[in-house]
Amino acid sequence: MIKIRIKKEMHTPRGQEWLDIDLNIAKGEFVTVFGESGAGKTTLLRILAGLTQAQEGYIEIDGDVWFDSQKGINLPIQQRKIGFISQESSLFPHMTVRENLEYACSDKNALNSIEEWIITIGLKGLEAQRPDQISGGQKQRVALIRALIKQPKILLLDEPLSDLDIHARLNLQDEIIKVYQKTGITTILVSHDLSEVFRLSRKVFIIHRGKITKSGSPQEVFVNNDLSGKFKFTGEIIEIHKDGVLNILTLSIGNHVTKVVASDEEILGLTIGSKVIVASKAFNPLIFKA
Amino acid sequence: MSMVDIDVSGDVFCSIVLETASTASYLKQGSSVTLVFKETEVSIGKNLTGLISLRNRFKATIKRIEKSDILTKVFLNYRDKEIVSIISTRSAQKLGLIIGDDVEWLVKTNEVSLLQEG
Repeated sequence: MIKIRIKKEMHTPRGQEWLDIDLNIAKGEFVTVFGESGAGKTTLLRILAGLTQAQEGYIEIDGDVWFDSQKGINLPIQQRKIGFISQESSLFPHMTVRENLEYACSDKNALNSIEEWIITIGLKGLEAQRPDQISGGQKQRVALIRALIKQPKILLLDEPLSDLDIHARLNLQDEIIKVYQKTGITTILVSHDLSEVFRLSRKVFIIHRGKITKSGSPQEVFVNNDLSGKFKFTGEIIEIHKDGVLNILTLSIGNHVTKVVASDEEILGLTIGSKVIVASKAFNPLIFKA
Repeated sequence: MSMVDIDVSGDVFCSIVLETASTASYLKQGSSVTLVFKETEVSIGKNLTGLISLRNRFKATIKRIEKSDILTKVFLNYRDKEIVSIISTRSAQKLGLIIGDDVEWLVKTNEVSLLQEG
């Protein structure tokens, strides 16, 4: 169980605002912190990681106190068992992929786990490459393995996919799901990408101007109920293909990629990457035993 | 489940929805709603005679036709509103649809969604 009660002053374009968070995350949960930029998402992760200090509050992970402003406890980053991955991974440019990973190992167990992670995360064959010879998505995979070999208690993901193109993003989402299924590690993802939230997390906290305003499953939090269609999902457009008088849209919905037909009028103003609600009458879907 | 009758400038449309008056606040007499259906669910009839189970059938005039290999998009003028029907090009040819034709357009009640206004 992670208990977070913290207050910290933030300087935003709107002036001074308080990050004022009180939340619990169960061990082994995958949660997303969702909100606009400047809402305090990254600050929250940095406070958890020990990169920034809260003015007051309390942070406890599985019974260990990491921060307690009243008792003057503030564990340094090295003693907090976290894996932190940000938008841009900071790999050593002069080292190969394998050297970057080996450098992060503090013991033999960690060294021994490198090979297994390289296979699991799909980096086999790239071990001898230097960071400038691999793609952005591959760099993020290296960063992910580097975080995992230290066997952290929590994985903190600060929009690690936001700089990647849609295909690299979907691939890395698959890897993150794989890691989570394999390790069951408590994971906190910061994101402002709706389809990512739906795909990866079971629970989402909406943060607005430093406060948690809503929490629940992505369905509960995001799906509005003003349309009578009962068969309704939120997704993201991956591809638009014109076919005769219609368009065939490829959408990412939850963990699936699917295709839907739409007229020109229906897709006015929509482009690749647009978030869409896909709805149908409850009468249409066919049901088969899976 | 509810069968909802909607008055659209004098014509009565029907929609079947899963909600009932107790689960959806907009399902009450006098509420304004927007009717939503997909172009591909709109059929076209010409010189229709005999009985048909579809209750949503209304008179319109063809104002434009866009053809492709498999499908054809028919733009209709229905009470000065535009209704679009997408049917197979084969059917469009069989019916001999041309601009200015008086036709009927049909949509099944279970294909009509209601969008709450406001």
